[in-house]
Amino acid sequence: MPFKKRFAPRRKFCRFCADHELPLNYKRPDILRDFVTERGKIIARRITGTCAHHQRLLTREIKRARQMALLIYTATHDSQIKKKSII
Amino acid sequence: MRKFETLLLLSPELTSDNRESLLANFTAIIEREGGKLVIADHWGMRDLAYPVHKVMRGYYVRLEYTGPSALVAELERNIRNSDGIFKFMTVKLADSVAEEVA
Repeated sequence: MPFKKRFAPRRKFCRFCADHELPLNYKRPDILRDFVTERGKIIARRITGTCAHHQRLLTREIKRARQMALLIYTATHDSQIKKKSII
Repeated sequence: MRKFETLLLLSPELTSDNRESLLANFTAIIEREGGKLVIADHWGMRDLAYPVHKVMRGYYVRLEYTGPSALVAELERNIRNSDGIFKFMTVKLADSVAEEVA
């Protein structure tokens, strides 16, 4: 095996197709966080199993949430500012 | 008549009456431009994901309103003029809103 498959190949399904009232918008960063790595990068469709339509909506909402400081752009911010400015 | 929503990120140093005066000013603009404020949803003080203006906390307010599309440009011009607002984002929610008979 060239690389170890991280995820067991279980049946992946699109969470937004299955659960219709799951709100997909930038106002709910807690839901969007499931589709973003800890470093803040958007996880690919083939990993999360989201369908193409919802993945397009998802990326747009994640980028909006990032702009409104609800989601991180990247995990390695300048930590000095972070510590100094925590009032 | 379209339905919009503006999410405002206000500076934490603003006192509550500063905030109220800012919001009253925006509501007046919405009314003046022939729109109608549906709701001013205060999310309150939240920790930011990354420092904005060297500050880690901000006060979020979500204004939901209906009005002609020219209203948004006017409202955003005023948002840019007033200080204490770090970030804002306007999103169109619905294209045509049923005219409720007031």
